[in-house]
Amino acid sequence: MAQDVKPTRKELMEIDDRIELSERGHDTLEQKRDGLIMEFMDILDQAKDVREQVDENYETAQRKLDLARAMEGDIAVRGAASALDEHPEITIQSKNIMGVVVPQIESSGVKKDLDQRGYGVMGTSARIDEAADAYEELLESIILAAEVETAMKEMLEEIETTKRRVNALEFKLLPELNEAKDYIEQKLEEQEREEIFRLKKIKAKKEEEERAAVEEEAETSGSTTEEPITADD
Amino acid sequence: MSTASSSSSNYEYVTARTRSRKARLFDEDDYRQLTRMGTGEIARFMEESEYDEEMNDLAARYSGVDLIEFALNRNRAKHFDDLLRWADGPLHDYIARYLRRFDAWNVKTAIRGLSSGAARDEIESDLVRTGELSESRTDRLLDANSVEEVVEVLDGTRFGPALDDAVDEYEESASLVPLENALDRAYYRSLLSDMPAETDRATELYVEFLRAEVDFRNLRNALRLARSGSSVDPGEYYIDGGRLFSADELGSLAENTNELIARLRNGVYGERLSGALDELEEADSLIGFERALEEVLLAYSNRLSQLYPLSVCPVFAYVLEKEREVRNVRAIARGREAGLDPDEIEAELVIL
Repeated sequence: MAQDVKPTRKELMEIDDRIELSERGHDTLEQKRDGLIMEFMDILDQAKDVREQVDENYETAQRKLDLARAMEGDIAVRGAASALDEHPEITIQSKNIMGVVVPQIESSGVKKDLDQRGYGVMGTSARIDEAADAYEELLESIILAAEVETAMKEMLEEIETTKRRVNALEFKLLPELNEAKDYIEQKLEEQEREEIFRLKKIKAKKEEEERAAVEEEAETSGSTTEEPITADD
Repeated sequence: MSTASSSSSNYEYVTARTRSRKARLFDEDDYRQLTRMGTGEIARFMEESEYDEEMNDLAARYSGVDLIEFALNRNRAKHFDDLLRWADGPLHDYIARYLRRFDAWNVKTAIRGLSSGAARDEIESDLVRTGELSESRTDRLLDANSVEEVVEVLDGTRFGPALDDAVDEYEESASLVPLENALDRAYYRSLLSDMPAETDRATELYVEFLRAEVDFRNLRNALRLARSGSSVDPGEYYIDGGRLFSADELGSLAENTNELIARLRNGVYGERLSGALDELEEADSLIGFERALEEVLLAYSNRLSQLYPLSVCPVFAYVLEKEREVRNVRAIARGREAGLDPDEIEAELVIL
């Protein structure tokens, strides 16, 4: 890079500005990265809990469904399941965690009362109710897991991006700028030295010319004073 | 799907045939063996039993546990149809009115299928073809393209007026609940209304049994509604015909389980229900209580059949035991398929 840089004072000033800006950016990004990692660790703990909850709820729901199918028959369970007409609704909004936009998922109508499930109360049993209850709980935990895990994914991507930016500044841009700065400074110093040398040279030359001129003048004036000697005698 | 004749009841003939059928039901040892078998072995076991014909007929269309379940349903329908075929006079009526629960089931299956966009074949495979509805009417149910058409098909049947009343509510709410509840309510209403004029002690006890079933159904529904946290008054789902509670009483008692249990212990079923009530007191879940209620009903019907061998009671006891067998074998097969432990499955079975 240094070879592409014009070794001028203006360029040096510009590079100084860029170095200052980059260092400030580097510090800020480092702080952001550390903050994101801390937030990520919190979300990671939450995600672990939520995932455990999903696994646990899934096992419970599946077991209750198996028991309902076993005791009430597949036909009765399928019939009760297909009777549902009001499906749950999901609203996705977004929230901001340290500049990262993550989804905020809100659900409605997941948990239902017995009379809202669409199947008749009189011709069904508590086994079907319990299987439905367990699946509603599972669905709620899946929605929560979707929110937390998407947030975690977004945070992870942002951490990666920030880390890449910090590294780019630390290991690429700043060293290059510093190298360019050193190069310009060296060049400028060299130019200064050359200038001084040139000035010295000019000065010496000038002094020599002046000395020569003085000597010439002295010679000229010496010859004129000897001329008036005439033959009076 | 046969019709009642106007002759007198042929208890001797039907009870003799029922006894022979009852002897072929699986016993406790069979269940113990079945709970330790895989689904393939269960299917093989069934092929060598009462269910061989159904297993062979359905084997080309279904496999695994579905095959077992459909064979059980078809065999049950065949046996119950036989009962209707054999019985004459009031006995036919007693059996038919109980088997109307399958008519209600078939109508519910048809409307649920239509509502969920299921194919005709899928709906048909879920029907249990026994009960009072004729084959042609059942086929018309399957051919219906909308819930309203199903209601039209049932015009002139016992379910017609109830569905006519509920269809407006269905159209307003787009929920099947009003229709399903109307069907179940119509079934329970027809169970006890216009009983034939036979006033022997066995018939009286049979009617008492049916009323106990209505009471237990009311009890289960009220407790389920109360436990689900629903704001609906359990009285709205009250079925007439029981002798234990009025609709208002049931609504208020369901909120207070302790009071309800005390009331049941002091009521007409107190002694028989003590085990079920202990279950209700001890467990959070209603499942154990429901199972205990089933056991009470089954034990009661068996006792009646022993006390009155030439009456409706043995026939009815057979109906319940056949139902129990279907439920138990299905539970074992589905439980084994789902990888449940044999002891866990055995604990869920209703075995007397």
